[in-house]
Amino acid sequence: MSELLQAVWGGILSGSVYGLMAIGLTLIWGAVRLLNLAHGALYVVGAYAAWTAINLVGFSLVVAIPVAVVAAGALGFLLHTVVIRPMLGRPGWDSASIIATVGVAIALQAATLLVFGPRVKQIPAVVSGSAVVASVRISYQGLVIVAVAVIALAALYFYLRSSRQGMAIRAVSQHMDAAALMGVPVERTYALVMVISAGLAGLAGVLLSSLLFLSPTSGFTPMIIALLVTIFGGLGSVKGTIVAAYLIGLLESSVQVYLGGALALPVLFLFIIVVLIVRPNGLFGVAEAQRL
Amino acid sequence: MAVERIDGAAAPWRAPRWGAVSFLGLLALLLPWVLLRFGAGSFIAHMLIMFFLWSVVAQSWNLVLGVSGIYSFAQIALFAVGGWFTGVLSMSFGWNPWFSVALTPLVAVVAALLIGLPTLRLRGVYVVLLTLAFHELLRNYVTNGPRIISGGGYGLIGVPRLDFGPLSAVSHLIPSYYLALLFFVAATFAIWWIFQSPLGAAFSALRDSEGYAVGRGINQFRIKLFLFSFSAFFTGLAGGLMTHYLGSISQSIFAFSVLINVLAMIVIGGWGSFGGPIFGTALLLGLQEGLRELSDFRTLVLGLALALVAVVAPRGLWPMLRDGFRRFLDEPGEDTSNPSAASGPSQVSDESQSAVVESRSVDE
Amino acid sequence: MILEVEGLEAGYGAATVLHNIDLSMAEGEGVVVLGPNGHGKTTLLRAISAVTKPTSGTLRFAGEDVTGWRPDQIATAGLVHIPQGDALFPEMTVEDNLLMGAFVKPAWMSRQHRLERVYELLPTLKDRRRQLANSLSGGERRMLAIGRGLMAEAKLLMIDEPSLGLAPLLIEQIYDQIRAIKKSGLAILLADENADHVEGLADRVILLETGLFVREGPAETLLADEALLAAYLG
Repeated sequence: MSELLQAVWGGILSGSVYGLMAIGLTLIWGAVRLLNLAHGALYVVGAYAAWTAINLVGFSLVVAIPVAVVAAGALGFLLHTVVIRPMLGRPGWDSASIIATVGVAIALQAATLLVFGPRVKQIPAVVSGSAVVASVRISYQGLVIVAVAVIALAALYFYLRSSRQGMAIRAVSQHMDAAALMGVPVERTYALVMVISAGLAGLAGVLLSSLLFLSPTSGFTPMIIALLVTIFGGLGSVKGTIVAAYLIGLLESSVQVYLGGALALPVLFLFIIVVLIVRPNGLFGVAEAQRL
Repeated sequence: MAVERIDGAAAPWRAPRWGAVSFLGLLALLLPWVLLRFGAGSFIAHMLIMFFLWSVVAQSWNLVLGVSGIYSFAQIALFAVGGWFTGVLSMSFGWNPWFSVALTPLVAVVAALLIGLPTLRLRGVYVVLLTLAFHELLRNYVTNGPRIISGGGYGLIGVPRLDFGPLSAVSHLIPSYYLALLFFVAATFAIWWIFQSPLGAAFSALRDSEGYAVGRGINQFRIKLFLFSFSAFFTGLAGGLMTHYLGSISQSIFAFSVLINVLAMIVIGGWGSFGGPIFGTALLLGLQEGLRELSDFRTLVLGLALALVAVVAPRGLWPMLRDGFRRFLDEPGEDTSNPSAASGPSQVSDESQSAVVESRSVDE
Repeated sequence: MILEVEGLEAGYGAATVLHNIDLSMAEGEGVVVLGPNGHGKTTLLRAISAVTKPTSGTLRFAGEDVTGWRPDQIATAGLVHIPQGDALFPEMTVEDNLLMGAFVKPAWMSRQHRLERVYELLPTLKDRRRQLANSLSGGERRMLAIGRGLMAEAKLLMIDEPSLGLAPLLIEQIYDQIRAIKKSGLAILLADENADHVEGLADRVILLETGLFVREGPAETLLADEALLAAYLG
């Protein structure tokens, strides 16, 4: 029983962070049809920005979190302006955009390595200590992470559902030409999506790095799992992605609790392969012509 | 229609310059005997062996990634499958290295079928993820798996070298050089054959427009699976040969930087073109040596170069150099009369692409 | 003049569909472009709203030179294009689709008021407001597309074949509504395949064939000439 509760708590915790990562990937995919393999690098940049703000400037984590979001968001804007916008609408976009984001990911990883060195760092917790609830140890820091992530996800959900810009993002991803006919500036909306998505990756980076260690390569695994989540949830579906994030988080933490940590990733991959064979468009995905 | 249109003039890669090829061949055959007279000669011979083996990996990956548009990142993993297979069998089970290395292409093909059968029917993004997953899982296995495989986390050290009989007594380098050369020539010829066959045109049709390819009755799944296995065949063998040549293979082969290095060979050289990956391998190996002092900056530069090429010159350097060279050599009339002729397969692709775009926009 | 088009040419790839089109419209005027399918009606509207980039020609709208503007800029200026095939946002509710029609800032400010007006005009949409657009029937989709166009602060409304693929009863309904819109003083540029329903809507009629304006005149005279219409429209 306590093992089960342990697994559930672990699932909620990692599911929240995966949700932040995956939502960004799914938004970019939905609007721009871009598989952003630099997403993990944005996670790392956000985390290092926060680490710098805390250790070199002396901010508290509460201030460092917005710093991380802004730093990653700004980088997302740069990525859009320098890399993505010049490639938009060119033939061969599918492959060129993947290669370009891989290049950016590598360059950013190398840059953080040069600046911060290979030694792992950790972002301090906002609050220390933990409580034992029904024989499960729940750290206060974990609670803070879940709270921040859930608030961010909820805010994003309502933003997309009913704000003018948020609705425009959805409109662009569903019918680009029609959105333009409504007066939506399509390219500026792409930039907006990139900034939001990058900011969320930065947020995930700073949150998770207060639990795990931070190194220039530590964005890779979260990105891979976020990819799993987006595919499981149906690419481009916001609601599906959030549900999938928690399901994947639960599955991962159950495997960790019952079978051991080494098997978590292999089991996730096997699971996703089976899902894709049974439901090629994910949980909530809409069938579309095979593009990418 | 597209296939028949590629005549000799529009498809120069179909008519190799036999003079240049035989000159290069002769040079490659005689080179070791010249090199070994110099002090640095054995190093250059070693670099050439590296070039022969890596360029086959790059060319095979290019077939998958650049020609048919399968976004597979499993190439290094397939290379490692070959390396580990022959390494473990010859080291821990006492197999004759010649025998176990001869099996590596088949083992790699089996691995490719295992990955390809469930994934190649799926959308491209899924292929990216699942092949990266295979890469990651294999790394995990050879790091944490049984001791005869993981070597306690250090990989396989002291893999027996291939026995060249009496030749080995003289020098190990020269027979290795000729073996690698033979492998390079055979693999390159096979890949060239794919490029110039009608199948090659079908592949590029597949890459540029799945709708178009389906319309022309091309069974994408079977072609993709064939191509994926075909490239695994040579990649696995390259992994096997490399392992015996170096006498070791370690988990560091799975490092992201290795994957990126090979990717850069294809992309910067010119993906989708026949000569691009060969040129790219030479360029990248040369840079690797030349920029050794830069170490950490190298990866940074490489990443930026990848992004830059994708944004600014998506065809890569080789087609640009080739066109420039041809414009320089050929009589001026030829190029202006058929400006896109030199771009080879992409001529077909651009047309089919725009045709698809048109029909889509008209539909709305 | 609300719209002045001069020397407009447009096409797809190498194929030119429209040749040297001149067209001007007065405020509140109703102009109907008639022509068989595939002769450039859709392309004409798309070129004016810049969804298909014109290859040459100048475009003035409401006193401003809008040549080379992006579609969203032209829409923001008040030129509203209701495209063929509706182009709805399939995964959004009917109401969200309508709200997107009021995306441009001034219209967004009064969106509730506009919503009520559209619901009044097209009551079916009110019943379906919570449904996803992709669950609507063909007629409802058409109505939604038109309703969405009405949500904007339009100075000129361009409608592409409102009757396409609809049952006769619905066609009458939809044209009645367009007539009502026209009567309220909005300029309308409508593309259609036949002249069956455009009476009372058109002040002027233009016949388009192979990308050229072949005939142009007041609606009363042109629509009365049945032999001419039969010759062009079959």
